[in-house]
Amino acid sequence: MIHFYEKRKLFFVCSLLIFLVGIVFIFINGIQLDIEFKGGSILKYQFTGDIDVEAAADTAEETLGRSANCQISTSTDTDVKSLVINLAGNEGLSSQEQENLDAALKAQFSDNQLELSETSIVEPFIGKQFLRNGIFAIILSFMLIILYVWYSFRKIGGLSAGIMSLAALLHDCLIVFFVFVIFKIPFDENYIAATLTIIGFSVNDTIVIFDRIRENMADNRKEKLPIDQLVNKSISQSLTRSINTNAAVFISVLIVCIFSWLNGISSILAFALPMTFGVISGCYSTICIAGPLWVMWKKRKEVKTA
Amino acid sequence: MTKQKFTFFIVLIIIGLIAFIAFFGLKIGGSELPGANKMRYGIDIRGGIEALYSPVDYNPNDAELESARKIMETRLDNNNITDREITIDKKNKTILIRFPWKSDETEFNAQEAISELGETASLTFKDPDGSTLVEGRDVKTARAVQNKDSNGISSGYAVELTFNSEGTEKFAEATRALIGQNLTIYMDEIIISNPVVQQEIAGGNAIISGLETMEEASDLAAKINAGALPFSMTSSNNSTISPTLGQNALKVMVQAAITAFIVVCLFMLFYYRLPGCVACIALTLQVSGQLLALSLPQFTLTLPGIAAIVLSIGMGVDANVIISERIKEEINNGRSLKGAIKQGFHRAFSSVFDGNITVIIVAVILMIFGSGSILSFGYSLLTGVILNFAAGVLATRLMIKSLSSYKALQNPVFYGAKSTRQKEELA
Repeated sequence: MIHFYEKRKLFFVCSLLIFLVGIVFIFINGIQLDIEFKGGSILKYQFTGDIDVEAAADTAEETLGRSANCQISTSTDTDVKSLVINLAGNEGLSSQEQENLDAALKAQFSDNQLELSETSIVEPFIGKQFLRNGIFAIILSFMLIILYVWYSFRKIGGLSAGIMSLAALLHDCLIVFFVFVIFKIPFDENYIAATLTIIGFSVNDTIVIFDRIRENMADNRKEKLPIDQLVNKSISQSLTRSINTNAAVFISVLIVCIFSWLNGISSILAFALPMTFGVISGCYSTICIAGPLWVMWKKRKEVKTA
Repeated sequence: MTKQKFTFFIVLIIIGLIAFIAFFGLKIGGSELPGANKMRYGIDIRGGIEALYSPVDYNPNDAELESARKIMETRLDNNNITDREITIDKKNKTILIRFPWKSDETEFNAQEAISELGETASLTFKDPDGSTLVEGRDVKTARAVQNKDSNGISSGYAVELTFNSEGTEKFAEATRALIGQNLTIYMDEIIISNPVVQQEIAGGNAIISGLETMEEASDLAAKINAGALPFSMTSSNNSTISPTLGQNALKVMVQAAITAFIVVCLFMLFYYRLPGCVACIALTLQVSGQLLALSLPQFTLTLPGIAAIVLSIGMGVDANVIISERIKEEINNGRSLKGAIKQGFHRAFSSVFDGNITVIIVAVILMIFGSGSILSFGYSLLTGVILNFAAGVLATRLMIKSLSSYKALQNPVFYGAKSTRQKEELA
């Protein structure tokens, strides 16, 4: 049996330190919203040869009357070069304006065989609506899951189990959030998807452990183990399962991460990477945070009632 | 006893069949069950356009929005783009269109296509020489009606046109000149109807008869109404992606999925031995079922959708892990193999159930709130979890019970538990 409860202070300090690092990074990197949420216009062209990014930016500005930031990115495996045009401001771009820009660029760089590969153009009000929906989805899933845990574990004090799961979930959501900040991944719909998945998956661990506590409590009438020992026992019993399941999920997500990173599929990497950290956090937060916190809650009650 | 021995092989054969159909599809006579080879991919894989249109300086009502959609559909039809999604948001007065790149299209100007789709439709009535006699704005309304003769007996369907005063005059003039000839109706350059003028129509009400079904009549009426729409739509909220980019991403994600499947299977085999082997078979069932749940109803699969399949490979073995752990524990606690298996499934069920329900909750929320690519993520996740009950719990139980009835497979070592001899030594 491993003494999780006795080491609780160490775990709490660890988590707080990680959060502190995350907060520091918010000041260093800031919180970047993807154009999906804040609105804006990005166009990508594939081309051959060389292109002067300054000249391209000037052309965009002349044609559209909006300043533009141009960059060249090269895909690691295929050597395909892309010109990325990021227009200033949060406004969208009408298709007529896009056509004008297209024509102007193709005329200017006629030797480079420009080919439009990707555009992403979002009006700010649509972006805001998206963001609002996303946040609402996260809050809604929090509430539904807490209610479910509460109901499921009503025999061992469902509310406390629900609140402890909430603590573990908040822990995991913060970790996912900080990974976006630290790796400078702009927040987009992927963030919502990653967070919701981690919420659904991480509470899994918590449920398995509370399930074991519930079972052991029923068997505990003769033995009369104190609550902290009972929880330690329950966590230890399900430890292999927790680690193995999380290992399987971690392996899967890590493989997606590696493949998308090697091949430059940024849209998938942007949510696989935070997810890998989320999985680790999900496992850790259940074992080291939710369990011990629950014991503290129960002990305080015991003192009160005594 | 012998019956139970066969169960494993029956389950194995069924899973094999399902997996075969999931990957290669099935053709029986004329009907076909599409498998992964006929998967309907989203535009992030096939390449394509997603554009949100809003009306320019105009506040259309619901019917007008429907008409605007009709214009876009007609134009897409005319370009042979049939695999598209058009969604009207009546509250925000917008129309969302998603359509993939045509496979034979190499030079496709996406931006031009987006502009053209939103333009005001020009509806014209032209004589055989091609000169315009009546225009869309001359038409007040068009509606589909059932054509009845004087005895009230139905004789096919028709579209009833009502013209405004200017239109009435123009139409009377046109029909007078064209008796016995065609008065062709165009939307843009597309012929939508080519009726023959029977007589001069002066009252401002005309009938285009001879339509076979009510749908055909409503369709024509909607197109004519659309041509009378006074507004155009523009899209300053859109995204395009070229097909080459998506194809490469698909290849990579499929490789990732296969790799993840193999690694997770090896892990299970190594760690749980016999139940691990059963877990791999169950996982095959789960993934095959997931693919079928996508390919049979031709649900769009996007890159995040594939990521969700990979994720459910990892999450799917959870049920097997819980069950196998429990069996191992019960054997080590001194239960008989049979008792341990029974107890293992019994005690593990509630955690598997509770755990899966929470994932179902978030998957459904993702489907409700997510746009295109995330919707697919939610759907894949949801099907993965639901199938996990069938594969990870039901099929696993049938297989393990059956296998454990073989004498040769009853050694606790196969279940990762301490062997009988080890136990004696410990004692």
